[in-house]
Amino acid sequence: MKEITSAIQLIPLEHYILLSVALFSIGLLGVLFRRNTIIILMCIELMFNSVNLLLTAFSAYHSDPAAQVFVFFIMIVAAAEVAVGLSILVMMKRNVDSVDINLLNRLKW
Amino acid sequence: MILLIILLIPLITAVFLLFLKDKAWVRSIALAATLLNLLLTLYLIFYSPQTEITFSAVNNMGINFSFGYDGISLIMLLLCNLLFPFIILTGFKQEQKQVPLLNFLILFAQSALIGVFLAKNAFLFYIFWELALIPVYFILLLWGGEGRARITLKFFIYTLSGSLFLLFGIIFLYQLTPGMHSTDFSVFNQLQLPAHTQIYLFWILFIAFAIKMPVFPFHTWQPETYTMASTQGVMILAGVMTKMGIYGALRFLFPVVPLGVQYWQNFVVILCLIGVIYASIIAFRQTNFKKLIAFSSMAHISLMTAAMFVLNYYALQGMLFQVISHGVVIVALFYMVYLTEKKTATLELNGMGGLKLVAPNMAILMLIIMLASIALPLTSGFIGEFLMISGLFQQSIWFAVFGGLAMIFSAVYMLYAYQKVMLGDKNKLMENIKDLQFIDYMILIPLIMIILILGIYPNTILNLPDLDVRSMLNHISQINEIVKGF
Amino acid sequence: MVEQIPYINLAFFIPTFPLLGFLITGLFYKRLKHNQAGIIASIMITLSFLFTVILYFILKSSDKQAATVTLFDWISIGNMKIPFAFLIDHLSLTMMMIITGVGTLIHIYSIGYMRGDERVNSFFSQMNLFTFSMLLLVMGANYLILFIGWEGVGLCSYLLIGFWFKNPVYNYAARKAFVMNRIGDLGFILGIILIFFTFKSLSFSEVFSQAAALQIGMPVITLITILLLVGAVGKSAQIPLFTWLPDAMAGPTPVSALIHAATMVTAGIYMIARSGILYNLAPITLQIIIILGLSTAILAAIIGLKQNDIKKVLAYSTVSQLGYMFLALGLGAYSTAVFHVTTHAFFKALLFLGAGSIIHAMGGEQDIRKMGGLRKKMPLTYITFLAATLAISGLPPFSGFFSKDMILNKAFEHNILLYIIALFGALLTCFYMFRLLYLVFYGKQRIATVRPHESPKVMTYPLIILAILSVFGGFLNIPALFNGNSNFLNYLQTAVSVKITEEISHTTEIILIFISLIFLSLVILFAYRIYVKKSTLPEEDGASMSVITRIIYRKFYIDEIYCTIIEKPYALLSGFFYNTIESAILNPIIDGIGNTTYWLGNMTRKLQKGNISFYLFAMVAGILLFIFFILII
Repeated sequence: MKEITSAIQLIPLEHYILLSVALFSIGLLGVLFRRNTIIILMCIELMFNSVNLLLTAFSAYHSDPAAQVFVFFIMIVAAAEVAVGLSILVMMKRNVDSVDINLLNRLKW
Repeated sequence: MILLIILLIPLITAVFLLFLKDKAWVRSIALAATLLNLLLTLYLIFYSPQTEITFSAVNNMGINFSFGYDGISLIMLLLCNLLFPFIILTGFKQEQKQVPLLNFLILFAQSALIGVFLAKNAFLFYIFWELALIPVYFILLLWGGEGRARITLKFFIYTLSGSLFLLFGIIFLYQLTPGMHSTDFSVFNQLQLPAHTQIYLFWILFIAFAIKMPVFPFHTWQPETYTMASTQGVMILAGVMTKMGIYGALRFLFPVVPLGVQYWQNFVVILCLIGVIYASIIAFRQTNFKKLIAFSSMAHISLMTAAMFVLNYYALQGMLFQVISHGVVIVALFYMVYLTEKKTATLELNGMGGLKLVAPNMAILMLIIMLASIALPLTSGFIGEFLMISGLFQQSIWFAVFGGLAMIFSAVYMLYAYQKVMLGDKNKLMENIKDLQFIDYMILIPLIMIILILGIYPNTILNLPDLDVRSMLNHISQINEIVKGF
Repeated sequence: MVEQIPYINLAFFIPTFPLLGFLITGLFYKRLKHNQAGIIASIMITLSFLFTVILYFILKSSDKQAATVTLFDWISIGNMKIPFAFLIDHLSLTMMMIITGVGTLIHIYSIGYMRGDERVNSFFSQMNLFTFSMLLLVMGANYLILFIGWEGVGLCSYLLIGFWFKNPVYNYAARKAFVMNRIGDLGFILGIILIFFTFKSLSFSEVFSQAAALQIGMPVITLITILLLVGAVGKSAQIPLFTWLPDAMAGPTPVSALIHAATMVTAGIYMIARSGILYNLAPITLQIIIILGLSTAILAAIIGLKQNDIKKVLAYSTVSQLGYMFLALGLGAYSTAVFHVTTHAFFKALLFLGAGSIIHAMGGEQDIRKMGGLRKKMPLTYITFLAATLAISGLPPFSGFFSKDMILNKAFEHNILLYIIALFGALLTCFYMFRLLYLVFYGKQRIATVRPHESPKVMTYPLIILAILSVFGGFLNIPALFNGNSNFLNYLQTAVSVKITEEISHTTEIILIFISLIFLSLVILFAYRIYVKKSTLPEEDGASMSVITRIIYRKFYIDEIYCTIIEKPYALLSGFFYNTIESAILNPIIDGIGNTTYWLGNMTRKLQKGNISFYLFAMVAGILLFIFFILII
């Protein structure tokens, strides 16, 4: 445990933050601008992971394990979410034979 | 306890009706329930001492589940329970869809209205006030005539937005109550609000009642709604619901903001008198029989409101008598409108005429009802109108003159309508028309009997609210003196 | 508690009989065969008459002059205690005699006149209802009971004018009568209310005993009397509310005789005579009454000169005679007015019934230009009609002479100008009545298609009785001039207040009688020359007339003027209110509020495209904005 923490601390915190921000931004932009639903889902995962990364980094720097527990929670929830999301995706593919997000424009009703 | 029974009989019967299928049974049971309620009300009026029921439901907020009555509520209660048997009876021989649901809604409305008239707590009052709107909304929407979707929406939103002001008012008063806050009327009545507060609070409270009654510029929902509504719907609306506004003003406005009432008194009276003249004059040019009656109802209600606001004994007594009289007369009139439409298949006055030739009995009964509406002596309409004009006279002779103009104008439009419908020569529409049926007599004869009995011997109910009217007037003048003393 | 006169409670039966008759004939109108209703109704009113006579003797045998019979408390609320009570005194007894007596004759006559009409049962039930209301009117012991009768007779008048309801013109006339009466009624009810607030009571005895102590010329009393006067003007067809009465001739002729000549229209006179004490306190109102009465008398008489419908002539003559009664009232001679009411009831009822007999004989024709030469064919009708004509013209010793002469005398006492105008009116009356008589009964029959015949006995017997009354009715009150002792006036004195004026000397009276006699004879001769000798006929409808004739013929265009200044503006106002204020201002405002909400909703709705990418974008943008605000502020 100690080794991992110290290993993490080898790299300065700013780098983690920058990396997370970069990953998060990539995910965010992907969600906003891509039309392929699979990619959007993957981008969402990317955003999750950037947050997870950040949590882990902070956890190590602050010597507080609570954040890492949160990370596990998030990963489990994300897994469930991906399962739901992918099944919607499969249904979508079956029904409209496409995974273009713009076809799902009936939310207004 | 009897109060609770009166309140619950229609509600329980209403729910029970939903499980029935057979139309005749549904109607008979509904009728039996309303008649039972009427009997209990009469018992209450003639034999029972004053009682009150309180349950502490949400007590830590000062919202008591408490019912009680005084003379004024009794008048309203009598009106409500007197009219509902006739309203139910009106449906008996009609072709209607979803009879159980309809009767459920009617009885539900009755319960809510009784609740309004018996509530002794402002919050409870408000709940029943809104509750009454819901069944009526559905009755209008599902059984209404042409253009019902738009018109009911307008009616609903109009009245609802008025009520919202009332809710503000209640909350405002609630947080002013001393100690443990309370919404009981008795507590509200003891509030001695400063004059300037009363002056604006008056409108916040009044607007809900003004829309319901309706008072002159707030009336625009009414003619359309009445014209579109089914007979039973319009009977509930014109016969009972308009009286909610009057009752609300008596219960809420006068004791709580007496100075505000006094401040705005002349303004409101003039507004009402404008309404009287305006509606009477408009009624004359209506070509639709139902709309004509709708405007006539507005004229009468406006006169009652004017009489209410001059705040003197005769006017208030006359107004309360007129509450019953107008209710009975307007229900009978709308029944006549219904019969006319049923027989001639139209309501356009210009195409009609000569109905008296084929339906002489109907003509006679219609004339009697119309005469009651134009306040001929020995009908109930006269007593109320005479007392109201007396009261207006006490305030100012001009009020009495303009209020009295209603007497002339009502004769103008009512006889005009009578002539258009009944008199004149035979007309193509009039072929194969039969005179009144048994069911029509069942409804009209008792109504006319009530009209005549109240006209010939008004003392049966005239003195019912005597004490309460006096004490209310006393209370108002006392509070006014105290507040002015500061 | 005041000691009651024994058997005085019989008074209760007097209005009950007609009410009973109304209920029986009204409820069973489908079951009753022809004539049955008429017989029931006539029996009922005859019973009323008999009871009135009995009551007269009961009151006479007691030492009291008035009695009150209370039935029950009608309205009792606060300080307002209004019992349903009858006042039996000499005035009400007189009126009851007229109503039930003349009423009986007219009812019996109607059996013959209305025979064969399909709604004869309704007719009699309405006639009985009318009698009931009229009795309430004169018997009521307070103003509100009087008002019940007042409105009740208005209703019956409405029903009976529009009796033949197939004709829209008749219906319009009926409606007009009711509405015009209602205008008066508003004044009346306001007057009643003011009386209540002034005297704290509405009962006659109470009000008058309090009023006796008041000073002359109090503004409140003046206002009260003016308001009551408005009511009387409506009911008794005075300027400006008189136009309904000629139109009211649309009803069957017995109705015109009973309601629009003998009884209902005199209700206003009764009411003012009853309130004489109040009127004595208001000299201004009395002046107004004089002016109204006199101008009505003259105006109606002038219009009467050129009318060609037999009933219209009689109608204008009624209006004119009512004007005379008002004149008498205005002069403070209340009992004289009531005396004229009595004699007028006799001869005007007779004239109308005679006219009915003629119309009956002519097969419904009412135009006097088409009659003529009926003297031979209908001798009985002729003689009775002649008697009535002489009576209304005021020739001695017929009844009209006594009453009208008294009014003229009173006018002379007041002001000589009044006398001259009133005499002029009397001459006009004489002229148009003889014009009518000559045109109808003299000369040759002008249309040959109908065969006039004398009416059945059920119609002529009432005519004869009324003729006797018209001839000798005046002897009820022989003035001191002819060694009489003014029985009638003395009888009324206990019930009607008297305004003391200076009496004129007997010599002056005799001179005045001679003056009027000379003029009357001249007028009769003049009419004879024109209509019998020269046998001039009134112009045809379309014929060219001189301006003045045309104006008179068209009744001074008063109907047209009312139509232009009241009816049309009313309709226009109604249209304006509905089309402009209601539909173009008030409704759009409320709808506008609704529509604005709707429009706003529509605008924001467009943001909700349903596009997920857009939602995500909006969400991110929102979060960023949020962070931005948190960080900056």
